[in-house]
Amino acid sequence: MTAIDALSPEDAFVQRADALAKAVGREQFSIDVTPPGCLWAGAKRAGVPHAAITALDMTAARAVPGVVAVLTAADVPGTNRQGIVHKDQPVLVETCVRHCGDAVALVVAETREALTEALDRIRPEFSPLPGVFDPVAALLPDAPLVHPDHVGGNVLVHGLMEKGDAPAALAGCDVVVEGEFSTPLQDHVFLELPNGTARTAAKGGLDMVVSTQAPFRDRFEIGQALGLNPMHIRVRAPYLGGGFGGKDGATVQCLLALAALHAGGRWVKMVWSREETFLAGYKRHAARIRLRLGASRDGTLVALTGLMHFDAGPYAHLSGEIMALGMEHAGGPYRIPHTRIEGFCAYTNNPIGGAFRGFGVVQTSFAMERCLDALALRLGRDPAALRRQNALRPGEPNAIGVATETGTDVVACLDAVMAHPVWANRLEWKKQAPPLTRRGVGIAATLNAMGYGRGLPDAAAVKLELTPSGAFLIYNSVPDMGQGNASAFVQMAARALNQPPEAFTVCQPDTRCCLPAGSSSASRTTYTFGNALLRACRSMREKLQARASLALLVDDPSRLALVTGGVYDPVTGQTLPLARLAAFLSRDDRFCVDQFTMPVVENPPETGKAFKFGFPHRYYSYGACVCAVEVDELTGQTRLDACVTAVACGQVLNRQGVEQQIQGAAAQGAGLALFEDTALTAGHMRAQDLSTYLIPTALDLPDLACIALDDNEPSGPFGLKGMGEIGIHGPSPAVAQALADATGLTVRRLPVTPEAVLDALAAQTSGTSPCN
Amino acid sequence: MIRVVHAPTCFEQLWEFLDAGVTVMAGGTDLLVRRTAAVPEAVVLLEGIPALREIREDDGLLRLGAGATHAALARHPLVRDRLPILATALSALGSPAIRNMGTLGGNIATASPAGDTLPPLLALNARVELASRGGIRSLPLAEFLLGPGRTALAPGEIITAVCLAPPAAGVLQHFEKVGRRNALAIAVVSLAALIDRDADGGVTAARLACGSVAPTVCCAPKAAAALIGHPLDRETLGRAGKILRQEIAPIDDVRASAAYRRQVADNLLLRLAIDAA
Amino acid sequence: MQLTFTLNGAPVSVETAPGRRAIDLLREEFGLTAAKEGCGSGECGACSILVDGSLRLSCLLLAAQLAGHSVTTAEGLGTLEAPSPLQTAFAAHGAIQCGFCTPGMTIAATALLAENPDPDRQAVRQGLAGNLCRCTGYVKIVDAVLAAAQSLPKDHA
Repeated sequence: MTAIDALSPEDAFVQRADALAKAVGREQFSIDVTPPGCLWAGAKRAGVPHAAITALDMTAARAVPGVVAVLTAADVPGTNRQGIVHKDQPVLVETCVRHCGDAVALVVAETREALTEALDRIRPEFSPLPGVFDPVAALLPDAPLVHPDHVGGNVLVHGLMEKGDAPAALAGCDVVVEGEFSTPLQDHVFLELPNGTARTAAKGGLDMVVSTQAPFRDRFEIGQALGLNPMHIRVRAPYLGGGFGGKDGATVQCLLALAALHAGGRWVKMVWSREETFLAGYKRHAARIRLRLGASRDGTLVALTGLMHFDAGPYAHLSGEIMALGMEHAGGPYRIPHTRIEGFCAYTNNPIGGAFRGFGVVQTSFAMERCLDALALRLGRDPAALRRQNALRPGEPNAIGVATETGTDVVACLDAVMAHPVWANRLEWKKQAPPLTRRGVGIAATLNAMGYGRGLPDAAAVKLELTPSGAFLIYNSVPDMGQGNASAFVQMAARALNQPPEAFTVCQPDTRCCLPAGSSSASRTTYTFGNALLRACRSMREKLQARASLALLVDDPSRLALVTGGVYDPVTGQTLPLARLAAFLSRDDRFCVDQFTMPVVENPPETGKAFKFGFPHRYYSYGACVCAVEVDELTGQTRLDACVTAVACGQVLNRQGVEQQIQGAAAQGAGLALFEDTALTAGHMRAQDLSTYLIPTALDLPDLACIALDDNEPSGPFGLKGMGEIGIHGPSPAVAQALADATGLTVRRLPVTPEAVLDALAAQTSGTSPCN
Repeated sequence: MIRVVHAPTCFEQLWEFLDAGVTVMAGGTDLLVRRTAAVPEAVVLLEGIPALREIREDDGLLRLGAGATHAALARHPLVRDRLPILATALSALGSPAIRNMGTLGGNIATASPAGDTLPPLLALNARVELASRGGIRSLPLAEFLLGPGRTALAPGEIITAVCLAPPAAGVLQHFEKVGRRNALAIAVVSLAALIDRDADGGVTAARLACGSVAPTVCCAPKAAAALIGHPLDRETLGRAGKILRQEIAPIDDVRASAAYRRQVADNLLLRLAIDAA
Repeated sequence: MQLTFTLNGAPVSVETAPGRRAIDLLREEFGLTAAKEGCGSGECGACSILVDGSLRLSCLLLAAQLAGHSVTTAEGLGTLEAPSPLQTAFAAHGAIQCGFCTPGMTIAATALLAENPDPDRQAVRQGLAGNLCRCTGYVKIVDAVLAAAQSLPKDHA
């Protein structure tokens, strides 16, 4: 690496570029954009999971003073279908409601009061249809069909990934463990509600500000749904107040655009309420996963077969890709010669399954880690040692046959958490359990691929400007939803151009002036956009050297160096200030544009053919997690006493940034393990506001520890790899193992409830073996 | 949506609005959370009447103003020092901001089966003072709470205060709330207990009140009676717990099952053994 | 009604419906958008403000209730040019990711430190128990509040 590419220790804790504006409450989110005199748009939600609409009388709604428009499917130009890969979701339902959150009508009004009043007066009449509420039952021949004209019935995707001959190999194993595992819907609970503001623009276009992770793709989703030219739709994506995958794909976008088309050129704003977000926003897929894991007597893993059912809800969103990623990760970070993983993704009338940090991997990691725990128990082996024994080393093929890249591996991650006092001193800690409590400690190993995988280019284009004042403007294309990528880009560019971070400003994504770079998702943005940015910085450096050489009359531009605010000639000692240099350049010449596409697996294994997009992946981050729990014998409540996560994610550009991601992801993982439950029953969520759907408060989590290991990804910008998701996988299985340790409970479903723990404690007393 | 807000500064002004049927608002933490359809067009605020916030001792009786916020009560020396059973419940209620806004009277008037102040008040044998233009009356709390969200509040009436005799200094005051998380949580089961013991540790008097296990907060007199004459040990408490199971009527809801509530209500008595030690 | 109160240290007077939510008044009438609506039902704390120094939820306050009182929003704690020690600590300690909960957190922390200038980690968590954060797991927020507490003279918060 050249001097300019190397990181310095000062980079380790660089304060984020966006931190101060957010600290003083001056940062404007999309929800803070309220043009004076704007109209308000809102959707009437069905509230029933499967029904035909028999009557939809809008007269009363239209009569409310201040109502500008009341729209139904008949008013939707274009296809009236939104979606990312499969366009199967109506913007406004036509005749058939397929989940409780379906939008039946759209109201545009002068005030929020008029909007609320009008929405209240819309009373659709429904004729209920038999619903299907289980992804396994959805595949039965007599199951009600969610999309009657869909070839394949309720099967959205059916796929298979295999290596070797797992069924045969299983038959020959010394020991086989199996289990069926169940993970629930999980809501993102980003604090900034889905929202946007839009108005029509010249040439039948739209001007929109949206809390979105995918502004460039949004244009196409809107354009196709509403029959508009996507290139005439401008989407601006300010900093998001959280996304976590929940704003990767249309939330308000198509409804809002439709409202704008009926607003006579005025701005329209749409903000979903929290209850509406539960109802209509997509969620992490619920999944049922059956695994059989076979091993030799000495603990060497031999074969894994799996059958998984993912509940897509009525619309695809990214269901196939999510299940595929889960299947690809089902073998965990382990060496398994024979695997056969089969997956069915089914349409149901439950809430929509869609993208959420961890993207299918959360579900399958939980199942696989629990199988390893069952194996450890059967063999009388320490669960950490068993994992370490089977952990993948660089160069070895993973469970679906792709060779692991070089770099720090999961063994190092396991070693790091095992060396931590929480694990190392666990026996003593458990003995000190206070009266009426039990303590346990558990460990898990994790991995998470980076990027889109094969099929869809994981590409980014970057525009970098030398401004007239001699500073730099980075045209960021990938929304910053809190992961700090905008700040990371400033840090990278500052290093690459040898300028202080203050010399850089970032234009947050604006499809009019930034270049397409894919979505903010898939642990990809700092790697893909970062690499493109570094290329643009290299071009910029060369350009600055070359242009300055003319002004400085230097015949060897390469001897010129970039210094703070200028170009310096070490031979003559002259410095040309960047502002002066900028003045010499034409406008076009002040810009550098470059691009990068993430390398893909070169010879993908001959499997997983059902998955055109997202299979397989090449680069992974690795991790391990230890959780310590204390259970109250009287109430069954589980207190997470400690959570330690180690991660290998390439070089650490900003240690604080890595810790932020790991801590936040672990908190969401802990929420899934112990707190979060939509209480879904026959398509209705009984928990659908923040008083019943509980995420952890500051009193519910310990100090989450993070160990970022030394590692290097040669293809990454400054040697880094994406790691925004990996931290979410550890807590559920580690807590489950810890609970087994503390109470004998075998956790097979999430979240773990106090009821299940109490039952386990009672069973221990009576000598039976409980599972939840 | 609320269009009219009245802000009386004395009772005389207040009675006019109450007699006209205007909805009363104290802290607003229950009223303003309701579905839009259930929000009244007009409210009359109680916060402008200082007398409602007074917390004082009168002839050995503690008088807690219905307009006092949970936070004000929790930090008041009379509550902190003489009523730890209530202070503990107050500190478990809601969140710091909710405690700054919500009032004792509001918690009682809302009459949720899970109201955090209610088990301690019931254990303390509190009386609720009610006032209207026509005068003042008082009722034992148990007679005031009629069902989930239902009270004996008459039209034109407000709760003005809660009156109770503080337990003697040696009485064990115990409160535990079980929620699904440690803040901003509706109680799933709660137990308030006042236990008096003699010099040998034998129970001489006991009052047990349970929350979230019946349509209203309820006492468990038979379980309490089973403690009398015995030490507060696991065996005694275990026996009492079995009896307590029969004195409650929990339901299944989104937060917990009836079976869980019954089991935990039984179990919570065992915590008294720790507290007693 | 003609509503008169003190807002971030300055007297203000505005004609508004008395039943208007305080959060809407602050955000729309005064353009003070730091107080955020994450739920509208008092469950997230993103709308937190101080009224006479006391922590409140502006989504559950009516405009009429502000009359004659002193209201502080996050904007009143500090500015870009002169952030408060607490705001500086939040930025420096990585306590901010998406930043949506941050104004409410800083307001709650300000109220906490006014009452308890030398809290331990658990006391900080208790003070912030009504403020949800989905990004951070709270750890660095607690770090920042403690750092700010240590940097402040003990007789003043």
